[in-house]
Amino acid sequence: MKTLRQTLGEAVGIAVAGALLGLAANALSPRGLRLTRNYFPDVGPVAPAAPAGAEPDTSVSSPSAPAAAPRAAAPPETASSASPADALRLIGFAEALALYQDPRREADLIVFVDARKADAYQAGHIPGSYRFDHYHPEEGIAEVLPLCQAADMVVVYCNGGDCEDSRLTAHTLHELGVPREHLRVYEGGFAEWRARGAPVETGPRLSGRMTSPSRP
Amino acid sequence: MNTRVSPASSRWTLGQAALVAARLFLGAAFLYLGAVKALDPVDFLKQIHAYEILRAPGLVNLTAVTLPWIEMLCGLLLILGVALRGAALVTLLLLLVFTSAVAHRGAALAAAGRVPLCVIKFDCGCGSGEVFVCHKLAENSVLIGLALLPLGWPDQRLRLRRPRRARKGGPASPE
Repeated sequence: MKTLRQTLGEAVGIAVAGALLGLAANALSPRGLRLTRNYFPDVGPVAPAAPAGAEPDTSVSSPSAPAAAPRAAAPPETASSASPADALRLIGFAEALALYQDPRREADLIVFVDARKADAYQAGHIPGSYRFDHYHPEEGIAEVLPLCQAADMVVVYCNGGDCEDSRLTAHTLHELGVPREHLRVYEGGFAEWRARGAPVETGPRLSGRMTSPSRP
Repeated sequence: MNTRVSPASSRWTLGQAALVAARLFLGAAFLYLGAVKALDPVDFLKQIHAYEILRAPGLVNLTAVTLPWIEMLCGLLLILGVALRGAALVTLLLLLVFTSAVAHRGAALAAAGRVPLCVIKFDCGCGSGEVFVCHKLAENSVLIGLALLPLGWPDQRLRLRRPRRARKGGPASPE
């Protein structure tokens, strides 16, 4: 009985000591988590991507692109006819590529945002994309947020597949003032982008180190 | 104070060596897997969220922050042989929770995809990357067995701090 009591006492002590160590490390770490923050909020309604073969919709509703506004107000029927107007729009590869090739991207009127971890970004990203971390928005917010707020369209991507970081990042950007109708989530993500042979840049943004032979 | 160990008792039996090896292996495994999680708390946070077991955001965050350190502390204590039974008990409880969670999620994925459980492969958040569910369950079963050993036979070899009775020359076990 004494042994059992001692064992239980040790176990409780270890659990408490470990938890305190974890809390202390989290408080001291610059990459610690905020204990009260909801990192996985409900992103609201989501409009599915247009099916493959549908004409890419690269229109935006923006003061700098007035001609495009009517199309943005009425997105393609195939994509979101059953979705609320404020739904977060998903896009497929064709639409992402069209936006990538749009000349407005060079002027930062179309901004690509990489929502993956720093090491994944360094290993390869859509050329010219900015990294923005939903879990640590304080990193890079000063650079990325003004660009996103001023852009006609912001395309957010992560790895694709089960990855939900792109949706969460788009939600965070919206909460920080980026209009929801300007946000697009590239559903296939970087995995699809690379698999389809689209250009990939490695290292920091605009490093010029491309791993794909040419711009498609 | 008598801390001398007689030459006869300093010889290791095969059983004692196996117990020490099991303890050190389990401790090293927990220390490593806990460190992997502690070094990337965001990744571990996402894995906890993916299990959809904990719903309250604060609880998910608290678990992501504290659990890796509890694991590491258990691993360290198992290696050092300090508070051995307590560390083994916490390790055992953690393994039972982890194993149940992996089995539950694996079964859900298998049911959703209408495929056998053993073809399911996912990142279980265990610190070892993507694994086949059945491999992970088998691995955890072995670790559970190893965690039970110090509870039943808290060996007196290679321990930084021995129980009081053993230090006084009393029986080696139980603690």
